[in-house]
Amino acid sequence: MVDMTVQIGSLKLNNPVIAASGTFGFEREIEQYMDLSKLGGISSKGLTIKPRSGNDAPRVAECPQGMLNSVGLQNPGIEYFIENELPHMLTYGCAVIANIAGHEFEEYGEMAKLLEDTAVDAIELNLSCPNVSGGCMAFGSDAYMIRSVVSSVKKVSSKPLWVKLTPNVTSISEMAIAAEEAGADAVSLINTLLGLVIDIDSRRPIMKNNTGGLSGPAVRPVAVRMVNEVYNAVSIPVIGMGGIMTGRDAAEMMIAGASAVQVGTANLVKPTACIDIIRELESWTANTGAAGVSEITGTIVKW
Amino acid sequence: MVHQIDYSCQVIRRQQPNRSYVILTLESPEIAAMAMPGQFVDVSSDQFLRRPFGIMSVDREQGTFAIGIRVMGQGTLYLSRLQPGDKVSILGPLGHGFCLEGYDRIITVGGGTGVFPLFFVQQFCREQNIEGIAVCGYRSAEESILTEEFTQTACAVSFASDAGDMTVAGHAGIALQAVIDDLIETNSDISRTLICACGPKLMMKTAARLAKQAGISCQVSLEERMACGVGICLVCVCKTKKDDGTVEHSRCCVDGPVFDAEVVIW
Ligand SMILES: Cc1cc2nc3c(=O)[nH]c(=O)nc-3n(C[C@H](O)[C@H](O)[C@H](O)COP(=O)(O)OP(=O)(O)OC[C@H]3O[C@@H](n4cnc5c(N)ncnc54)[C@H](O)[C@@H]3O)c2cc1C
Ligand SMILES: Cc1cc2nc3c(=O)[nH]c(=O)nc-3n(C[C@H](O)[C@H](O)[C@H](O)COP(=O)(O)O)c2cc1C
Ligand code: FES
Repeated sequence: MVDMTVQIGSLKLNNPVIAASGTFGFEREIEQYMDLSKLGGISSKGLTIKPRSGNDAPRVAECPQGMLNSVGLQNPGIEYFIENELPHMLTYGCAVIANIAGHEFEEYGEMAKLLEDTAVDAIELNLSCPNVSGGCMAFGSDAYMIRSVVSSVKKVSSKPLWVKLTPNVTSISEMAIAAEEAGADAVSLINTLLGLVIDIDSRRPIMKNNTGGLSGPAVRPVAVRMVNEVYNAVSIPVIGMGGIMTGRDAAEMMIAGASAVQVGTANLVKPTACIDIIRELESWTANTGAAGVSEITGTIVKW
Repeated sequence: MVHQIDYSCQVIRRQQPNRSYVILTLESPEIAAMAMPGQFVDVSSDQFLRRPFGIMSVDREQGTFAIGIRVMGQGTLYLSRLQPGDKVSILGPLGHGFCLEGYDRIITVGGGTGVFPLFFVQQFCREQNIEGIAVCGYRSAEESILTEEFTQTACAVSFASDAGDMTVAGHAGIALQAVIDDLIETNSDISRTLICACGPKLMMKTAARLAKQAGISCQVSLEERMACGVGICLVCVCKTKKDDGTVEHSRCCVDGPVFDAEVVIW
């Protein structure tokens, strides 16, 4: 038996596989199809201070080995979430992470305060959504802003704080270092890559928002490279994601330096993807002879 | 509590009634047993995302169901080439179908691929002894599909074509108007009549308007680009009215695809 538990700072997870923000609904649907206690954790849909109805449809475009989305943070607002969704999520028996996204700088602190009295296991600061104007990704592409947002949240929150980084920057390790210096407990990456798909007949973008965020296997090599770069640059745990479809993909991300992984787009192709990935990762780890899955992290043997 | 949603289904039969369409009969006792008219399935192809198709009919005894496919791009091309014996991964049955309970007459109004899920409605009407009237709109007689099946299954049919080479010249809306006029002229009781529409947006909008004018209930099956098909990604939204009049984004895949025409913002 392989020990599948992993430690992200003070938080212990059943296993390293977390359902990524925005790809698991508010779980009410998915709980019909799988036993959620088997997961390492669930990161909530991106939450905002006020409810948001999101962008107009179409919000999705397909591309080879991936997809783009322009949902635009549709969510019922953090207060509704705390009252109506969170209590139910906490009964699942896996870690629950609140993913929060601010339009204004102050909103991150306000939301963290609201979460302080809840039993949520960690907060993931979404500094990386490419589908809303202002805030969010703009904060995440500026090391100074990352420092300010992270330290302001740290002041009001005792929860483990994960900072979710955008790949749409020149140097992602510079952003990760800024997050670490300001007190982040972990960094998670990558959010989606900004892209554009055009219908050549009408010459119109497929998505109403024109651009959208690319995810799925198409981004995996970029994600693995960035996770490795960040792993070498910081000493806090790195949570890796981007295109993980199988247990082998999860192993690759961990070898690059991830202590845990998140699975997003795979859930949209197969609702029970996370369960399969956990099983495959476990048997792959067992075959290597390792006693625990955490031993894989950062074992890349570079040329 | 936890139930399966992902089935590996074998192709039992492949029919190609004309150049534009292929009908696949697939084996899945579970989907056949659970499916209700208006629900859909999400089918894997050689492309990244699954492809949604309305369920066209079920044979609960044989444990099979059928879908009708119009070739539009790579995914539908791949699916149209499947042969008996091939297997495909399918999620289903998905979504909220038509609410048919409490009606004694159902008029289906379909255009293009919209006629497929409506055939299931007619099949249901026949089983339940509900009076089914089928109105179908096509581009031309050559591109028409399921006309024989609708004729055998429904109590009355009306076929329209844009090319003017079928019973009614013009779109399905014109044919629907004639059916409604007929009901009113013969003083039929329309209090328990329902119009079910599926097809191009303009056609459904027309059906909804005609239904409203005549005081008949109407449900429409909407189409949006989807990713998950099960309600977890929020990409497939359409605008609907809440009870208090405010507008919200509903998910076409789980809140729909069938909506009461009254709540849809066109
Ligand atoms: C609820 C529902 C029921 C449907 N029922 C049927 C049916 O019974 N028979 C039938 O022939 N077609 C049906 N369609 C449309 C069918 O899903 C599309 O024609 C198909 O997805 C096109 O795939 P493609 O790879 O050939 O085309 P491409 O254009 O290459 O597809 C690219 C992407 O766009 C999406 N897409 C393209 N056109 C549509 C569309 N009209 N609606 C939704 N997504 C689209 C695809 O799913 C894919 O993700 C239905 C759609 C929905 C939403
Ligand atoms: C439909 C969709 C919605 C998403 N919504 C969010 C969100 O609300 N907050 C967030 O931090 N990331 C969001 N993401 C990004 C994912 O959490 C993840 O970072 C990204 O998709 C890369 O992983 P993947 O390739 O496994 O999907 C979303 C992704 C998708 C596909
Ligand atoms: S397609 Fe994912 S929510 Fe409808």
